[in-house]
Order: sequence, then structure tokens, then C-alpha cells
Amino acid sequence: MLACLALFVIAPSHGWWLPPGMSTHSEDVDFLFYIILYITGFFFILTEAILIVFMFKYAGHPGPAKAAPSTGPNIFQKMFPFLRDQHHVEMAWTVVPAAILLYIAFAQVPAWLRIKDRSKTPTFGGKQVPIQLEVSARQFEWRVRYPSSERLEKWMKNEGKEDFKSFGVFHNGQPKYKQMDDVPAVNEIHLWKGQTILVHLNTLDVIHSFNIPFMRVKQDALPGKTIPVWFTPTHANTRFDDKKQRWVDGINMETGKEDRKFYRWEIACAELCGWGHHRMIGRIYVHETQSDFFKWLKQTEIENLSHGKASK
Amino acid sequence: MSSSQPHAAEVHAHPEMGFVRKYIFSTDHKIIGIQFLFSTLIFLVIGGTLAMLVRAQLGWPHAELPIIGNWFLDSNGGRMTETFYNMLFSMHASVMIFFVIIPMLVGAFGNFTIPLMIGAKDMAFPKLNMLSYWFMWPAFTLILISFFVEGGAPAAGWTSYPTLASAGMPAGEGLQSPAAPNSGHGQIFWLLSLLFVGISSMMGSINYITTIINLRAPGMTLYRMPMTTWAMFITAILQAFALPVLTVALLLQSLDKLIGTTFFLPPRGLEFGNWHTGPGGGQPLLWQHLFWFYSHPAVYIMILPAMGMVSDIISTFARRPLFGYKAMILSIAGIAGLGFIVWGHHMFQSGMDPRLGTGFMIATIMIALPSAVKVFNWLGTIWLGNIQYTTAMLFALAFVSLFIIGGLSGIFMAATPVDIYIHDTYFIVAHLHYVLFASSLMGIFAGIYYWYPKMFGRMMNETLGKIHFFFTFIAGNCVFFPMHILGTAGLRRRIPDITNTVFEAPLIPLNQFISISAFILGIVQIVFIINFFYSLFKGPVAGRNPWHSNTLEWTTTSPAPHGNFETTPVVYRWPYEYGYFDANEDSKPQTKKGEPGDTSQGHH
Repeated sequence: MLACLALFVIAPSHGWWLPPGMSTHSEDVDFLFYIILYITGFFFILTEAILIVFMFKYAGHPGPAKAAPSTGPNIFQKMFPFLRDQHHVEMAWTVVPAAILLYIAFAQVPAWLRIKDRSKTPTFGGKQVPIQLEVSARQFEWRVRYPSSERLEKWMKNEGKEDFKSFGVFHNGQPKYKQMDDVPAVNEIHLWKGQTILVHLNTLDVIHSFNIPFMRVKQDALPGKTIPVWFTPTHANTRFDDKKQRWVDGINMETGKEDRKFYRWEIACAELCGWGHHRMIGRIYVHETQSDFFKWLKQTEIENLSHGKASK
Repeated sequence: MSSSQPHAAEVHAHPEMGFVRKYIFSTDHKIIGIQFLFSTLIFLVIGGTLAMLVRAQLGWPHAELPIIGNWFLDSNGGRMTETFYNMLFSMHASVMIFFVIIPMLVGAFGNFTIPLMIGAKDMAFPKLNMLSYWFMWPAFTLILISFFVEGGAPAAGWTSYPTLASAGMPAGEGLQSPAAPNSGHGQIFWLLSLLFVGISSMMGSINYITTIINLRAPGMTLYRMPMTTWAMFITAILQAFALPVLTVALLLQSLDKLIGTTFFLPPRGLEFGNWHTGPGGGQPLLWQHLFWFYSHPAVYIMILPAMGMVSDIISTFARRPLFGYKAMILSIAGIAGLGFIVWGHHMFQSGMDPRLGTGFMIATIMIALPSAVKVFNWLGTIWLGNIQYTTAMLFALAFVSLFIIGGLSGIFMAATPVDIYIHDTYFIVAHLHYVLFASSLMGIFAGIYYWYPKMFGRMMNETLGKIHFFFTFIAGNCVFFPMHILGTAGLRRRIPDITNTVFEAPLIPLNQFISISAFILGIVQIVFIINFFYSLFKGPVAGRNPWHSNTLEWTTTSPAPHGNFETTPVVYRWPYEYGYFDANEDSKPQTKKGEPGDTSQGHH
């Protein structure tokens, strides 16, 4: 038991712990995680300590006891006169945990609904216009479809509501309108710091799970359904590398230094999807500014056109 | 049938029955229980071996596999293929759940203890009981054959989620699966095998319910039944209500695979590369609902009997009355009842409506309450006790201490927002192994050490038992406790190679530590096997009641004769009258008549 506790102390110093949260969801999730960790940690120590103390204190010798154990009022009964018989003890240790459990149960409802409730899906004309994209999972990659930079720029100015539907409206699980100038990408999702992103998640073959540990995002992609997922990154990790002539992630943009351990944010499929499940990995590129993002998007559009692979 | 001959062996060898009727196609519940025990112990070895292979891959993902590497992984340079790995953990889970824990707890211990503990001659339907064992044999055969069919044993996880498991070719174009090579023939064998397990369990549970309701000895009121029997009773009810749903799900998936129905195929169909399945008319989420509607109660089927057994063992060896007998019964019933409305907590991230998740979450959190009450009651039982540290007692106390961990870690994943992060990580793996390995299996070991004398008439070796216990306890914790940390760091479950992502790769040292502990854990079980078989022939002969226990099975000979009791026992008191009565007596068996001034009889 002591070893178990020691492990909890050692582990975080080795980086074997919750990765730092990088989205607005992480506050909710981590807060609840720690609350529950403290509550359960307390009861873990309490019950195991009682068990071990009793195991030593009441260790018997072979054969019947020599004398009856003294059953006068013990220390607990002196402290809490209420606990005078078995029935009252049962009552006490039912009601107290019940209250704690009910607290845990109801404390988390708002956070859950903030993250997942579909009526809270960020939409066009809301407080913050989300950028929208479609992620289609398949064995074993994440296929991403962006609107063209032209349309996206209009949305950001709260214009072009009709076009918005090509991502917002689905029919039979398929996007109702696909447009010729949509921008496809594979295994990379780009956005910028502080910008809410709304992912329309679907899958072509089996169940996959859209899992970004650093963003505290996880949602299964279900065949035949399109499920909205949204989050807002609070940090950036991408800049243009002049030497390599491409955008690189894994950069702590506050210090400007490379820090792959905490600043490479992977989309790691979390639902068994076949033999290649473990390497179904995409990446999140969070640009520092909106203009950086559009630079990337326009560049990708041009590359796609020159390679003749405009969206199908 | 019963005679009053004093020598166990002679009573046992009833002259009218040949070897086959007595030991193979036996209708005697004790023999059937022992048959279940032996069969499941063999499958425990198989499941354990699969786990060792899983750990070998996880600790050293790029290394060649020793011994068996060259044997049948030759094409991959002796290294494990991803498909092979997926097959290993899928079959490890399937074998352990459907062929070890459930048939061991319910089949072996349920069969053996129920009639003996309630004072009945046998089960209500002895022939049905025999059938329930023999229906396991097609299941055993099919699951073992699945390893050798084209494509290999299933590799879609023990949950067999569509459409990975269910996607098939159009009817008439073969049974291969476009989703995974193992989801073809192997999956069909898996489905059929589980159907037989289900039929077997159903026969068993009907039998248990009927027996407990109808065949109790005179004076054995419901509130004088030992906790083991209560737990088996409630478990049987759980099984009877939940199993039909699994059977339906298995049939639907079989139909999808065999004749091309589309229960789990969505309307727009699926695309595998350039190949399209064509439209379907179903919904993959349907499987998850049906599957978990059974498989969540199944989790309680796998723990409640162990809780019952542990309650009896702790009370016996602490020489104290069970604390809060009625609260213990109520909490088992509470767990079972709530167990039916919490299946959705396996599906928080599945795409089920999140508002529905809230309801499941509250029910799930509240299930911690009866579990907590049980733990407090066990602690209350050993309080002021005169604890006898037999191996059975050590395993029972280990059950309590490890169930605390398994129960508390469950609260994390019951909390929906936290579950977003830890779902499908090693945190879940840690939790489920703390409940199923560290709790259920410890309960099973406690039960084996406790009832072994009654089963075979001989005692197991206590020294070997204690060696087995200490290594199992320590190595078990070394295996499963660090998995909480792995999960907290975000390590996904069901991946053969953790070095593919930046956030998982640093966890390799911890994984190697776990693997080494797991190998020790596996090797130590040899001590148990040696002890088990050695004691079978050479163990000291046990008397009727080696543990000075109160329940009815200890009033008859060890092993009990055909028909169980020389004369029908009459019950005068509840089973937990332990404690100091006078200098020579610290227990009052249930059959002991009350004396003047004895106020305790019928107290409960």
C-alpha cells in the first residue's frame, strides 16, 4: 500500500502523469479528476489503514479465544454517541458516502454538458463563429476536409451563411453539399490559438475514436452517423520553418523552443479498429494567429490544385 | 440414497453407479461443480498464457518473441504481428470472462455450495444441471477451434463491436470479413461458442433459483441463509434476466455474418478502400446497447458470488458474526438492481446522446454506495475478532483490500467528464483487472482453499498456500497498480506498440516493470497447481469440519456422500454465531439447538 502511494508521488516527476491541458476543456476535466483523486485517495487510505490495523490488532491464536473481547463503548462510540448500535452505524456509513457520491455526481453535470451536449454546439451567428471541418475516419487514417479559404474568410466575417451549410447540414450521414473547392488533407488538422473548431466526425468503415489527449477530447466515430465535436485550443504549437520550408509543430510558442513532449498534439485513435489501430495517428497544428492559418490553407489549396487532387 | 456409513470413501462409492455415471455424466451437483472447476482451471491456464504473451509484446514491442517466435511467427521475423496481438488480447478477455470467471464462480462454486449450504440432497433439476455442464463442451470446442480456422481467432476485442467484428461479404461470397482477417470464420466460431455458454448459464441459473426457493432444509429461512447462497441466488436472477439479451445480440451478429442481414450495418453502408458493402438498414450502436445490457450485469455476476464467499470466509476465520447481515444482503441486491441501469457508462464516448449519459452517470456513481457499505461491513466483521490467518482468510482479506482499489477507481470513469480523458486508456484496464483479477480471482482462490477439504476430503498444504498468496498478492499489485499511472498519462489500451506516439513512448520502462511482474505472477501459479494436485492425493485427511465453521456443508462428511446428508439437517439459527461462548466453544453450528437462556437463536 505504501508502495502504491509512493508511486503516486514518483510518477509525475517522470512525466508519467496527465499531460498538460491545451484546450478550454482541460480545466473542467482536470478539476474533476483531482477532486475525485483527493476524495478517493482519502477513503483509500482510511479503509486500508483500518484494515491493516485490525489485521494486526485482532490477530488471533489457534483455537477458541481465551476470553470474550471487551465490548464496552469504544473510542468512536464515545466521540459519536449516535453510533450506539449496529443499525445506527450502518445508517451513518450509508448516509455519509451517499452525500459525497451525490456531490460528485451532480458537480460534474455542467462540465459534461458544456463539452458534449449537442444543443451547445457552437454555430454560425453565435458568440464565436467556429471554423468547421469534416473528419472522416477510415482504416487507418484521418481524412480531413476544409472549406476553401475564400468561404472560410467570409464566415469569419459572419457572411455567407448559405455556404456554411455544406459543413453544417448532413443528410443520411453524408454532407448534403460538397463543394468543388473544399480542401482535403490527411492526418492533419490546422487551426489557430483561441479559435473554436467544430469537427463533423464520421467514419467510412468501422468505429474509430477521435482522441486528442492534450485537448481532453475523445469521441467515437460511429458508422452511419455524423457527430459534432468542438474544442478551443489555448496554446499554439506551430510556426513556419524557413529552413524546411514547411509548417512544423512541437514548438512551445511562448518560449519559441522546440518541446515535442508537451507540444506535439496527436490524434490517436482510441477505439480498436483493426490491425493498424495503434498507428492511426494524426496531428493538431495550432497556429499562433489567424493569418498564419490562412497562409497554410491557401498554400495547401495551391498544392492540391497543382497535384490535381482537388476534393472529389 | 444416503446411508449412515462413517467412512467417506465407502459412502461415496455408491455401488449402483459405474465410473461414467458417477464421474462423467454425473447428475450429482458436487461432481458437476468439480467438473466445472477442473475445466475452468484448464482455461485459466490458457487465458493466463495469452496474457503472458500480451505482456511480452507490450514490454518489448520490437523484440523477437522467444521460443514461439520462430515457431509460428516466422513470416514476421519472429516478431509478433499486429493482428496476432489483437487476437491475443481479444481471446485473453473472452476466455477469462466466459470460460473462467463466470463458470468458475457460478458453475463450480454455485453448483457445489448451494445444495450443501441450504441442506438439500441435490439440485432441483439434476439432469438439467448435468446438461448445463455438457453444454459447455461445444463452447470449449468451438472457442479452441477458432484459433485454427482461416484468419485465426477473433481479434475485435471481447466486446466484438460492429462493424469491425460484424462486417461481412454479401451472402454467398464467403465468410471472410473486409474489416479484418480475424473477423471472418474465427468470429463466427466465437459467436456460436458464446451462444452455448449462454444456454449453459441459463440452465444453471434456473436451477439455482428453483433450488434455493424450494429445497431449503427445515428451519432454513431466507434470512438464515449464508451470504454465499444469497449471492448465488441474486446472481442467478441477474443471469436469468440479462442473458436473453446477449443471446439475441449474438444471434443477430451471427445472422449478419452468415446470411447477410444488416442489423448492425448503417443505411449508407461501409467503404473499405474502394469496395462498398452496399446499403444496410441497421445501426452499430444497437450492438453496444444489447451487449452491455448483458455484459454490465455480467460484471456483477463475476463479483457478487465472490463477495458472498468472502463474507462467509471472513466471518469464519475472524470468529466474529458477520457485521450487518441484512445490510450485506440489501447491498448485494442494490448492486444487482442498479446493475441493470448502468450499462450506458461503457458508452459515454460512443455517440450515444450525451444527455442520456447523465442519467447513466448518476446511477453508476450511486452503485459505489452499496459497494462501500459492503467494505465497511467486512471491516466491522474483523473488528474485535480472533483472526485465524489461514490461506483462505488471507485471500479473502486481499479481496477486501483490492476491491477497495477497484471500487474507488471506478468512480473516476463513472464521472463523465473525466471519462472523456481516461476512456479506452490503461486506467480502465487497471480498474477492470482490480475488480476481475484482484478481487474475483482472489475470491476464487479463497473459495478453493476454503472448500477444498469438503470437495476432496483432504487439506491443502498451508505453507505452499501462503507462498502462493504472498507472491500472487505482491506481483498482482505490481502488475495492475502502475496501470493507473499509465492510464493517467493517456496510454491507449489495445495497442501492440506504444512507441508510435510522443505521449506514450516514454512509458516503456513502466510497461517493462509490469511485464516482469506479470511473468512472476504467472510462474507463481505453478505453486498453486502443485499444491492442488499434491494435496489431492497426499494432503492430510480433513475431518467433517476442519475450519469449525457453522454452515450446513460442514456437518456432513468430507467429501459429502451422494445425497449430501445422512439425515436431513434441521436448522435452528443463522450461520454467523462465532465468538466467545465459553472456554471451549467459539461457534454454534446452524444445526445446534438452542439451550435455555440462549437468546441468539433466530436472531436474524
